[in-house]
Amino acid sequence: MEALQTLDLTKHYRSGSFTKKNIPALEKVSLSIEQGEIFGLLGPNGAGKTTFVKLILSIVHPTSGSATVLGYPLGQRKLKEYCGYLPENHRYPAFLSAENTLIFFGRLNGLPESTLKEKAHALLETVGLKDWAKVKTKKFSKGMLQRLGLAQALINNPKILFLDEPTDGVDPVGRKEIRDLLLSLKAQGTTIFLNSHLLSEVEMICDRVAILNKGNVVRTGTISELTTQKLAYHIHLSSPLTKEVRERLDQTILPIEYHETSLVVTLHEKPQLNLIIDILRSGGIGIEDMTQQKTSLEDYFIQIMKGENG
Amino acid sequence: MFRYTVEEVLRRGTLLFYFIIASIIILILALGIGHPVNDPDAITLFGSPIPRVSEQGFNMIEFLLIQLHSLSIFWIIILGMFGVAGLVPSMLEKGMVDLFLSKPLNRAELLMARAFGAVTGIALNLLYFFVGVWLVFGLKAGVWHWGFLSSMLYVIYAFICFSSVITILGLITRSASISIMLSFIYTIISWGLELREHGLYRLWDNVVYQRFLDTLYYLTPQLNAMLDNSTRVIGKLPMMMNVPDFTFMPFLYSFFPTCFLFGLSIWYFSRQDF
Ligand SMILES: Nc1ncnc2c1ncn2[C@@H]1O[C@H](COP(=O)(O)OP(=O)(O)OP(=O)(O)O)[C@@H](O)[C@H]1O
Ligand SMILES: [Mg+2]
Repeated sequence: MEALQTLDLTKHYRSGSFTKKNIPALEKVSLSIEQGEIFGLLGPNGAGKTTFVKLILSIVHPTSGSATVLGYPLGQRKLKEYCGYLPENHRYPAFLSAENTLIFFGRLNGLPESTLKEKAHALLETVGLKDWAKVKTKKFSKGMLQRLGLAQALINNPKILFLDEPTDGVDPVGRKEIRDLLLSLKAQGTTIFLNSHLLSEVEMICDRVAILNKGNVVRTGTISELTTQKLAYHIHLSSPLTKEVRERLDQTILPIEYHETSLVVTLHEKPQLNLIIDILRSGGIGIEDMTQQKTSLEDYFIQIMKGENG
Repeated sequence: MFRYTVEEVLRRGTLLFYFIIASIIILILALGIGHPVNDPDAITLFGSPIPRVSEQGFNMIEFLLIQLHSLSIFWIIILGMFGVAGLVPSMLEKGMVDLFLSKPLNRAELLMARAFGAVTGIALNLLYFFVGVWLVFGLKAGVWHWGFLSSMLYVIYAFICFSSVITILGLITRSASISIMLSFIYTIISWGLELREHGLYRLWDNVVYQRFLDTLYYLTPQLNAMLDNSTRVIGKLPMMMNVPDFTFMPFLYSFFPTCFLFGLSIWYFSRQDF
């Protein structure tokens, strides 16, 4: 069974009490997420990432379409019992301490009272807030609140975890800790759904991603599917190119980027690399170093967005 | 949610203020009321004797209790409004509402826990004041005035009805200050409607308009009438001879609009996107 499956999930917000302007936020999104994977939903601001998660958790109501989480249709109480959620810009009652915040949310989750305190402490330890257990949350910094939010999302041992920009405002060391935490959760079998625009991070931990733009899914695939399609080589030369060699390279009609003593060539197929090397060698230019370039997810993302919007 | 709301209400500055005032009054009474040494039947307030029945022929103790009661409901309505009106809007704040709604509770439970948590917070404050005053009068003066104690229940009931108005206003406006303002206007309207025969009717001599006022009166919780009647439970002073006797009617009439408003709130809340 899929951890999460949506079918043509659509949301148009009605905004303005009187005008009822129609704001399309999500258009027929169909995604399927396997149990135990880390799935990243990427997209520029306003793409509809948050809306997608809110639909799943019945914080907003769908305009049309349907979805199931672990087989339960939207709106069922059981569904929410299996979910953990870290919203973006989350806030906590200012008068509660970190410990009591977790206990409070644990209660809302219907957890037995006797285990709550222990659970809260264990989680605060996990997210690195052990020494802050008794401190009121209004004194917390942004990154600390984010860690608390993560602990809160884990209070009910969710089977599927929805994280909306989990590393927002967290320092680099903290980010690494959060990534490690997510990987260890994955190892325990938790499915993780991540909203982010920090592509380098997504690249590091996600198994699969979907790219969302203006409410439409424009690509889905594993990270490697999306990032290693390009056969680009960065070739460092021992001396600058001569005019003659450059003309011969241009005749290959391959896209080549020229730098002072290096060039980047994008091939259609691998054997073309030999052709390039032959041209260079026969022109008396030595090759010092050669590396295959991977498109980073970021390059890919920007490329897609250009194609979509331009 | 319920427990948390009660805690939140009790921590509110406005209600702490009420709590402090109530404590001071109870303390003053406790210190002030006593028996003169020679006559255990008489009661004194700071040394000066209070006759049980004054020269004008009314019960001084009851008079005092009615004053205390009126004072208390005045404060609890004002402070309760300030203390409670922000609760629903604060639950709906961006970032907070997402957390609450993502929990395995349905929206009706969430909203009602919030509304009744608020009422419970107020009720605890009222309980403190009424039981405190009642005990002081009982222990120090030997007057166990059950009417005074039971009048508390009517005040709490009236506050429940009032909170249905506060809840729906908070839900729609999503703002503490606007809903305080509107609930305040509601208390004035309620008072105006109660006295419509002497006031609003005269503004415009039109049957349709007058029936409209009547309808409005029966469609909203009759806060003012309920509070007035809660006072009458304590007793009646001779100078209030022309005031009608205690009646259950406003409590009964208010029951339906209250349920309706809570129902409407739940319906509205369940349909909202956040
Ligand atoms: N409550 C709402 N009422 C009306 N429109 C909304 C509401 N929430 C979001 N929208 C609109 O829906 C669209 C998608 O918003 P959403 O918050 O899902 O984007 P996002 O991908 O999460 O963006 P970000 O990266 O900035 O968090 C936006 O155009 C936004 O204006
Ligand atoms: Mg978002």
